[in-house]
Amino acid sequence: MISVKNIYKNFGDLKILRGVSCDIKKGERVVIIGPSGSGKSTLLRCMNLLETPTYGEVWLGEKLVTEPDPYLHVDVIKTSKTFASLVAEGMSEEEAVKKIKSEDLLKKHEGKEFKKALKAIHDENHQDINISRQKMGMVFQHFNLFNNLTVMQNMTLAPVQLKLKTQAEAEETAAKLLHRIGLYDKKDEYPSKLSGGQKQRVAIVRALAMNPDVMLFDEPTSALDPEMVGEVLDLIRELAEEGMTMVIVTHEMGFAKEVATRVLFVDEGRIKEEAPPAEFFADPKDHRLQDFLSKVL
Amino acid sequence: MKFINDVIECFANPKYLSAMLEGLKLTFIISLGAAIVGLLLGTLVALVKISKSTSPWMIFPRTICNVYITVIRGTPMALQLFIMAFVIFAIRGFPQEITAIIAFGINSGAYVAESIRAGILSVDVGQTEAGRALGLSNSVTMMKIVIPQAIKNVIPTIGNELIALIKETSIVSMIGMYDLTAAAKNVGAGHNLASYIAPMTVAALFYLAIVYALTFAVKKLERRLRSGDKR
Ligand SMILES: Nc1ncnc2c1ncn2[C@@H]1O[C@H](COP(=O)(O)OP(=O)(O)OP(=O)(O)O)[C@@H](O)[C@H]1O
Ligand SMILES: [Mg+2]
Repeated sequence: MISVKNIYKNFGDLKILRGVSCDIKKGERVVIIGPSGSGKSTLLRCMNLLETPTYGEVWLGEKLVTEPDPYLHVDVIKTSKTFASLVAEGMSEEEAVKKIKSEDLLKKHEGKEFKKALKAIHDENHQDINISRQKMGMVFQHFNLFNNLTVMQNMTLAPVQLKLKTQAEAEETAAKLLHRIGLYDKKDEYPSKLSGGQKQRVAIVRALAMNPDVMLFDEPTSALDPEMVGEVLDLIRELAEEGMTMVIVTHEMGFAKEVATRVLFVDEGRIKEEAPPAEFFADPKDHRLQDFLSKVL
Repeated sequence: MKFINDVIECFANPKYLSAMLEGLKLTFIISLGAAIVGLLLGTLVALVKISKSTSPWMIFPRTICNVYITVIRGTPMALQLFIMAFVIFAIRGFPQEITAIIAFGINSGAYVAESIRAGILSVDVGQTEAGRALGLSNSVTMMKIVIPQAIKNVIPTIGNELIALIKETSIVSMIGMYDLTAAAKNVGAGHNLASYIAPMTVAALFYLAIVYALTFAVKKLERRLRSGDKR
């Protein structure tokens, strides 16, 4: 479903992600945990390109979400001027590719052939980002309901604007979803009139109204008062039972254990450990993870 | 007593009254025209400045906008008006009203642009991110989510800009135009009246009335926009 290939993300001089790869398969529920500032949100936001990775690629199914990364395509590297000059200096092809990769030698302009090779990969695989995003629902820590729109308008704006549904169809879907979370009677309220838990549940069904293939959650309960955490987790649990593919960043370890099919530990910009929850929590191998778990459990 | 009589005379004497109303009309026309030009120009400039596009096509417009704002805000309005009147539109028979509308419109556009830009930036980025994450394009997200919220933040400052604009139009008398301020001066210099204080007071009352009405309208609009979604 989602393939993350060797992603790096720098903010200026700060290296936040340093080579992250992972595959999220259909029906999987991947929970990402890790210390604050380790890059969990950044990783999630790279998946739907709210952040553009500095290096690496993200794929959604067969489609490329990011621009192609030349470093991941040996044939492309071989069309570069840098490669040509290294080989001309007497280096073997293999060595030259290795050197270019490890020392980040590709420059902005590497000649026509290089440009053409990259463009070919782009043209063959790239999908407009707005199409990719329609298939990846995202739920934010701070809900981000549209303040100027009612609950109903929040739910119908995107499907109607994107011509996926008529206004009437969109309202019908929205009504069903709102009934499901018991907030149909709030459909004409503005977000400011809702509690945090209600806002987050509306945000979740707003994403569901797009009929996404996968849902990304970035600490969906961190901004909630404790008494409202349950209602939101219950809704996510329901989606899990229905087989929705999900990637969840959370600090709720109990929830992670219960709902995940796989848990990733992100630390210092890398995935330090990944395992099914039973094994992950019972028998952590990485020292930093052991440390982390001893603090949060 | 003479003062009150003179004030009454300003209204009662058709010659004076029509002179004052003539001036009021010009003040009104320039203000309205300049406000429209300023709002359109300001919105456009704000959108250019706010766009994050890295396309080389945007570098030139962005530079123009930056220079425009710096120059307009860094030089006196009177000088800008003189340049328009005596250099750029120094064409025989070119209507002075248009010159003034353009000069004041360009001037207020720079201030409006900065308030609109600030208004847009004051909308939480989470709103934009949520829109984009649903697959909406940048322009739809702007039009449907960000700008409606920005307008609410911006209306009080834009209102103040317009009020400042109306008052500032009084300098058109410096290029020989006959606005409300010029009219008051002329009436005051008239033979019968020979007093400046009365027509000046009347002009002040006119200005105050316009400013008060505008302030009231802005407050009302603001309240209506806010009633929907208190935050
Ligand atoms: N736009 C940005 N510009 C500069 N630095 C950023 C930006 N976004 C994130 N960072 C930095 O990147 C680091 C990782 O951020 P990220 O939000 O991914 O961490 P996180 O693992 O989600 O942490 P938390 O558990 O606190 O949410 C942080 O140190 C943060 O300050
Ligand atoms: Mg985070």
